[in-house]
This record gives sequence, structure tokens and C-alpha cells, in this order.
Amino acid sequence: MSRTTIGPTANRRETIPPEVEELLRTREDTALGKSYPRVDGVAKVTGKAQYSGDFSTSNMLYGKILFSDRQHARILRIDASGALALPGVRGVITAADAPLARLGIYVRDKEIFARGKVRFFGEPVAAVAATSERIAAQAVELIGVEYEDLPVIGDMDAAVETGEPVVHAEFERYSTVFPYIRYGNVCMDARLSMGDVDRAFAEADFVFEDTFNTQPHHQVSIAPHACAARLEPDGRLTVWTSTQQLSLCHYETAQALAMPMTKVRVVPLMLGGGFGGKVKSQYEPICALLAKAAGDPVRLTLSREEEFYATPPSSPFRIRLKTGVMRDGSIAAKEADILCDVGAYADHALGTAAHALASMQGPYRIPNCRGRARAVYTNNINYGCVRGYGVPQITFATESQMDSIAHALGMDPADLRQKNLCADGDTIVTTETLHSVHIRQTMDMALAASDYRAKKGRLGPNRGIGIANLIKSTGFLPSAAAVRVNEDATVSILTAVTDIGTGTHTALCQIAAEVFGVSVERVSIAAQDSDNSPYDTGSIGSRTIYDSGNAIRVAAEDVRAQLIDVAAGTWGCDRANVVVAGGRVYSRENPDQGLSFEALVGSATYASRGPLIGRASWLSAKPYKEYPGEGFGDGPYATFGFGTHVAEVEVDPATGKVHILHYTAIHDVGRVINPEGAQGQVQGGVVQGIAFGLYEEMVLDNGRLLNPNLTDYRVPTSLDAPEVTIDFVEEPDPTGPFGAKGMGEYPILAPAAAVANAIFEATGVRVKDLPISPERLYFALQSR
Amino acid sequence: MHKEITLVVNHQRYSLTVESDELLIDVLRDNLGLTGEKKGCATGDCGACTVILAGRPVTSCLVLAAAAEGKAIETIEGLQRGEQLHPLQQAFLDFGAVQCGYCIPGVLMMSKAILDDNPRPTPEDVRAGLSGNLCRCTGYGQIVEAVIAASRMMDGVKR
Repeated sequence: MSRTTIGPTANRRETIPPEVEELLRTREDTALGKSYPRVDGVAKVTGKAQYSGDFSTSNMLYGKILFSDRQHARILRIDASGALALPGVRGVITAADAPLARLGIYVRDKEIFARGKVRFFGEPVAAVAATSERIAAQAVELIGVEYEDLPVIGDMDAAVETGEPVVHAEFERYSTVFPYIRYGNVCMDARLSMGDVDRAFAEADFVFEDTFNTQPHHQVSIAPHACAARLEPDGRLTVWTSTQQLSLCHYETAQALAMPMTKVRVVPLMLGGGFGGKVKSQYEPICALLAKAAGDPVRLTLSREEEFYATPPSSPFRIRLKTGVMRDGSIAAKEADILCDVGAYADHALGTAAHALASMQGPYRIPNCRGRARAVYTNNINYGCVRGYGVPQITFATESQMDSIAHALGMDPADLRQKNLCADGDTIVTTETLHSVHIRQTMDMALAASDYRAKKGRLGPNRGIGIANLIKSTGFLPSAAAVRVNEDATVSILTAVTDIGTGTHTALCQIAAEVFGVSVERVSIAAQDSDNSPYDTGSIGSRTIYDSGNAIRVAAEDVRAQLIDVAAGTWGCDRANVVVAGGRVYSRENPDQGLSFEALVGSATYASRGPLIGRASWLSAKPYKEYPGEGFGDGPYATFGFGTHVAEVEVDPATGKVHILHYTAIHDVGRVINPEGAQGQVQGGVVQGIAFGLYEEMVLDNGRLLNPNLTDYRVPTSLDAPEVTIDFVEEPDPTGPFGAKGMGEYPILAPAAAVANAIFEATGVRVKDLPISPERLYFALQSR
Repeated sequence: MHKEITLVVNHQRYSLTVESDELLIDVLRDNLGLTGEKKGCATGDCGACTVILAGRPVTSCLVLAAAAEGKAIETIEGLQRGEQLHPLQQAFLDFGAVQCGYCIPGVLMMSKAILDDNPRPTPEDVRAGLSGNLCRCTGYGQIVEAVIAASRMMDGVKR
């Protein structure tokens, strides 16, 4: 693994404060850059780790949901009498039993049960609690619902063209987090603009226009959604679940039940895959309401089929790009028009449309840029977000078009990119200023590692090599943390951020250990629950190492400062002369004199100061002084990550099947905290990105999902995963904890484009619609 | 219809009353409290429920509990010997093959079945053998490395 020497460089635009400079330096006994074993590893390999579907308690009932089988209909009558008469059924609830409470991340448009009307096939209409799963499933079948069908809007163009707000008649009454521009079925019409785009197009030597379509794809976590709830004797509710966002799940569950947050306690169990599907609250409010109604604890689990149609996947996107280029390859102007089908509710899908717009430039310097993103309601399933949050989609479009442009100009695609790369200090179309830009380095490393220059154009028939770059903004929304140094000098971290499988809990312990100069074995994340774990926005959007890591670092530094105070006071020296490192605390002037970490903690706790507890309340990005553009509510973000991928493929022209011969993925992550964890993220994310490009597709027919199963929705197996050459550029980001930026989403962003570009070289065919399934490629080859 | 059956799981005998149509995965998890094996799909597609039945790996969501009567069943709970991890479990930890961990019990049992049958597999053998176990987090690379490493550790000795 490469490691660059850390020190001030000429093109760093920010001055690094001296104490940060010292922290960035690699120490001999550093806890960073080491593959400490996962803190939850043994529990997972022995089968002892408890996931939400494993939860059990006495007198537990089983919950099942009745989902609508109509895409758009009024609910005339719900008759639960048949279900209630079935022995073993202990309760049936509907919207009539739920407080009136609309929830939503961006637009508060959704209740936990359909009230009066269903807007998509798969919307919860009722729920049952019974003494066994079997009885609960039977009871669901016995609930009679009388519907009056309404016209179905299954097409995003039709939804836009219809002036009338068909899907949400009263949506202008819904509160929103931002004053979106809304009309008809459009719930967001956002624009951004920079420079003089019209003039730049007029002056461009060539103008390229392309339209790309991407498909809805699902997280397909191997663990389906599951949760449990119990009403306690004192009237409080306890909820057990697997979640990426403990704090937000807590807030939403309390809101949905019209209970104060102090009366609801959410306990996170191990999470079996998230990828954007287990954000905010999902089925916890319904489960909690069932437990209240039935009077006994309830566990609710979704089937795989229900996972597909009743949990939020990513939206389909149509992206039109228009790019003006000069003869020499410099990009003069770019325009993007993004249309995103959010389905029946805005959910996270609206945010993915905005975020795709924010990322429209790609990692390139383009002085004249503008874009528009519309998010539109339809009666398709309730779309949400998948890892990447709209950026896999826009990256596919941008990086495919860059390739087309290069070929049209007779330039190598890598050369065209290198000519236009962004750099530190660039202002992008969102008005944010880039810093810690290391795309040039990721390109150099990827080109070398993949042997691109030697292979390009020389691989032989039906083979090709393709390159794609990525940029991802991160560092957003708050994280709080507390750090306790216990009486035995072990360290407990109080945080609400859950480890969703990425290994972040281990890495966060490494960060805290580094602050104190103690061994990582001394540090652990305290047991989490909403009562005791301070607010954290959670494991989303590649923010965990950066934001939660910074919060934990600051909280640890708070305690370290307290220890330094005690030592300085005891020795009568300057605070600046006290060193906390190597498990000791000592004076710089007199290194042999000093105390062990334990001894100082003991004396501080009981004698000189009191219990040692540190805290942080962290918000990475200062709010915009003025929101950019019109109707655009995304960001701002505190930092940016970059990467370069290279794919080598072979196409079978007889079947259209694409075989990945080799794949290279290089990412700019600031600093790798845990190498094994980072490599695992890249290997897994690349395979997901390839699958998004080639295999996965939710197939809908007028709002009905045709393939809600693992046979017809193709998720990669061990036979489909290529060997990936993985490496990292480690130029520290001074705003990250010890220079780290994080990287959870980066590897899924570029594979679709890298593979599509390699397919172009192999076949001469440019496919602009995903997935590039064998059928789609085969017919494209036929019409060549 | 109720049936009285005896299941032999990890060398322990259990006498149970089950419905004739109850699935082995449900009986293991709910009746015997062995929640190590997971349910991911209930259609035999994901492999998270893999156990070894009479020496062969099976997706226990497609096996009737009654049909497993009297046959030796090995599950993840029986893979370690007391506190001692099986070489496969140790290798999975050493090679970073575990992320969310939900697929892992099924992958470990399938890996054991692969090594029971072929103590010196190639990476291609391992990939083929594991092709019925879906993993969404790892991209399989470190899993395959771990199984090969474990096979070397075990050096042809069945454990």
C-alpha cells in the first residue's frame, strides 16, 4: 500500500494548524493504518451476533403487514373481522389506529399506513399481531379491503406532462425542509448555473448531446428488514432494530406514535446489510404500534419478496448531457437535465436527484455549467436511495460521454480526462470550493497499475479497456460524541453511529486510541441505545469516518486536554510541554519523569479533577450564506473524495455476455485508518457497481414489480466477482480526523461507466441504458 | 399435522414435536434457539440458511424438519470446539472476509462442506462451491482467500 510522506506542499491552499500537523505525522506506535481485527468479528463467525430478525423475548407475538395490491386506489372499506376471528390473532391495526403524522426526509408526505388512499403497490394498509408467523400470515389474507381503482401514473413523462397533482392532491400543504419549487406531480424542480453557458456553447468547436437511462436497483441486503417492540410497564416503548441511523429512527418512531422521544428507546442490533435501505425509520413505527395494540411484544420480519416491493430502492433516472468542447479537448461548457421518478413518496429519492445534479460536473474543471433536476411523483414503488445516492447514475452518464467525446476527437480517453481535471481551489457549480483534490494522483496510479497505456487498443478482438473517474462529496449533518476514560483507564466511546458492516466501529476505536496514545484494545464503543448514545446522523453518504470520526476525535481531545491540565498543574509546567503518548504522560523537558496513563487517570478522577468525560458536537460544513441556484436544497459538503477505475473486459458477441478480465480501483481517501476494512469496502463496492452496470434491474409494468425475487433480480455470485487491484492515494485531508476522508460509497460510483467504456472499445457499440444486460448488448451488436 | 421427531444437531439429540410441513431452518432457529443460521429468502436462493445434513450442504429453508429426522446436522454453532475457533473461522477473521456478517454462517458451513469433499481446492473450486451463497458486502475476494488459507492450515486433515 502506498503511503506518501506527510508535510506541507506547495499546492495546499489551507494552512494546517501545528497541532494538526503533528497529529498527521505517522508515529512508530500509531494506531492508524493498521488492520486491527474487527471488534465484532468473533461474534459474527461463531453465529452468536444478534441481528434484529434473531431477537426474541418472552410472550413475543409475530407481526405481518397487509400491503396494497393496487398502484393507485381509494380505500373504501377495511374489514378485519375475518382476521380477528382467527384463533391466535391478538390485534389488527390500520391508519385508524395511528396518530395523524406525516413523515419524510425532505417532504413530509408519508404516513405509516395508507390513509384513505393507496399510492403504490406495496403500501402498508394494515398489520396483524399473532401468536405465530404462520397465523399472522393467514390473518393477513383474511383482511378484506374494498378499493376503488384510480388512474395509474406509471410513467415519469406522463407524470410531468399532467398538469394536475394526481399522486398527491394536497401536496402543497406538506411541509418541506427547503422551499422546493413544486407544481403538478413535480415535487422538486432545482436549477444550478455557473458562468455563461450559452456563450460558451456558441463558441465551442463541438457540441455533444447524449441521453442516458438508469434503472431502479435494490440494496438486496442479505438480511431482510426486521424489528421488534415492547410496551414497558412504565408506558415507555422499547424498539429493537437494525438501522443505519439510530437517532433518526428514534425521532421518527416517536413522531409517528405521537410520543415524546424520552418515552421511546431504540436499541440497535447487528445490521445485516444497509446500503441505504435501512436509513431513518422503516417498519419500526408499525411494529411499535402493533405492540401497543396487542399488549405484548411483537417481532416483525419482511419476506424477501416484500423486501423488493415494500422497501425503498433507487430511482430510475433519465439524464441528458450536453457538452461543448474545443478542438484541443478542453471542455468549455456542460448542461445537464435530470429527470428522476421518486415513485409514490419523495422519501430519499428527491435527495438523490438533487445530489446527482450537484455532482454533474464530475471531477473536471468546467467554467460554464448549468443543470436542472426534476423529481416527480408517480404510482411506481416508493423509491429511496442506494449506496451512492444518485452519483452512480450521474457518473455513468458523465464518464460515458467523456469517452464518446474522446473518441470523436481522436484523443485517448485518459488524455482527455487529464486535460480537464479539477484542482484545489476550483469553484464548482454548487458554489462550493474544492480542496484536497488528488484525482491526478488516482489517475496516475490507476493507469500504471492497470497497464492501461500498453493495453489500450491492443487487447485483440472483442476485448477492451475502459477508464472512469469519480468525485463524491461528503462531510455533512451533525455528529455528537462523548468519551469517558474509565477508572481503570479503559476508554468508552458514546456514539449513536452504528457499524453497518463496514468496520467503522473498529476504525473509530483506532482514532480515539491515537488521540490518547494508548493501545486500541483499551478502547471500545459503549453499548448503544437512543437513551445513552448522543445524536449522530449515522452511517450514510460516506460520512462515518469523516464526521463521526471527527466528533469522536474532538471528544477524545477534550479529555486529553483535561489530563494535560492536571499534569501541567502537578508539575508546574506549560501545557504545551506535556506529552500524552505511548501509554504515558510526561513532560517534554523531563521525559523520564512522568506517569503511566492509568496512574494519571486515577489521580485525576479521584483527587485533582473529577471523572474524565469529554464531549463534542460536530458539524462539518458551515451552512451556505446563500443557497445556490433555484429550488436547490442539497449540501453544502465539507470535503470531496476522488477515484479512478479501469476495467478490462471481453465480450462474447454470440450472447452479449460481458466477462470482466480484470479491474483496478484507486481511491483518494486522505488516510487509510484500517487497511483491511478499506480494501473490503472497495472489493464489495466494485462488485456492486459492476452489477448495477450489467445485471441488476427492477422490472416494473405500470407500477407492478415483475421480479421481486433473487432468481429474476440478478445479484452477483462468487463466480461473477472479478479480481480487483486495490490501492489508495493517501494525501491527508486536513479537515478529516488524522487526515482521513472516508470512502464507503466511492467504489460503487465508477464501475458502470468503466465497464461501458471498455465494452465500447471491445465492440464499437456505446450502450447508454443500464443495465447492459446480455440481451441489450446482443441486440445493440446486431444493429451495428 | 404434528409429528414427533428426533433431530441430531451438532452431536446433540433433541426430541421435538413439529408440524409435518415445518421447515428445518425454522425449527433450528425457533424451536432450538439456534439463530446462527439465517433466513435470507426462504426460496433456496441466497444460501444464508446453509447447514450440513448427513454430510451434504443443504439450504435448510428447502428441507422439511421431519425429513431431517435421525440424520446428523452440523450448524455454525457446532463449528468451533469449545473456545477454539475452527481454522475456517480464524481464517475469515484474519483475512477480513467478514463485513456485515449475515451471510457468514452459511458461507462458513458451505466452505466446510467444500473442504470436507476436497481438502486442497483451487480458488476456482472455491468460487464454484460458494456460488450458491450470496454476499452483498465483501465482493467475495477475501472470502475465497480465507478458504484457501484455511485449507492450507488444515493441511488435508478433516475437522
